[in-house]
Amino acid sequence: MPIYPTLAVAAAIAVVLLEVVALHTDLFRDRAYWMSMAICYAFMIPVDGWLTKHSAPIVLYRPQDTSGISPIWDIPLEEYAYAFALLTAVMLMWDHVGRRTPTRAPVEQVAP
Amino acid sequence: MDRLQYLLLMAGCVLITLPLELGFGVRVWRSPRRLALALLPAFVLFVVWDLWATRTGTWDFSRDYTIGLRLPGGMAVEELVFFTVIPVCGLLTLESVRRVLGRGVSS
Repeated sequence: MPIYPTLAVAAAIAVVLLEVVALHTDLFRDRAYWMSMAICYAFMIPVDGWLTKHSAPIVLYRPQDTSGISPIWDIPLEEYAYAFALLTAVMLMWDHVGRRTPTRAPVEQVAP
Repeated sequence: MDRLQYLLLMAGCVLITLPLELGFGVRVWRSPRRLALALLPAFVLFVVWDLWATRTGTWDFSRDYTIGLRLPGGMAVEELVFFTVIPVCGLLTLESVRRVLGRGVSS
């Protein structure tokens, strides 16, 4: 497999393992997470589509390093795994940090 | 103007999600410490990956649509903006969906 899809899939798996093995934030059980990812993917199409369009690319890939598969416009298929890894890693850390340093006192401590 | 394309695209992403913070009441930009800690690990790893992938030629950046500031190996400085802006858009989306579902975590 070419280098970019290999690393993108490895990054996605690593992020899942980060949650399952170490962080245990329960993000993957949160309906809001999956809805957010659907929304993010919807907005990824125009943004990443603009970055990678072959007619006037901002980012240019060496063809032999990519899968060569672009289901939507010129966005390489592995870019979706890359986006999953980046967004999920940050969301996991956001919840992890937020759990350790809550911005608001837990309810049970507010009650008399 | 064309050389600003990448930066303008990132500015558009900030602007289109800013109402979630300003009008919708979620606190992502306004939780700077939590935001920095959430962004930092992915930022470092993805920048290292990016530096390496640019140096080895897996990807490259257009001279026509970037401002021309390059990091070692040829990585466009705009990528640093990307690895900040796009994750923030994701977090604003996550917190907004949570708010809609009626259980804001950070607000």
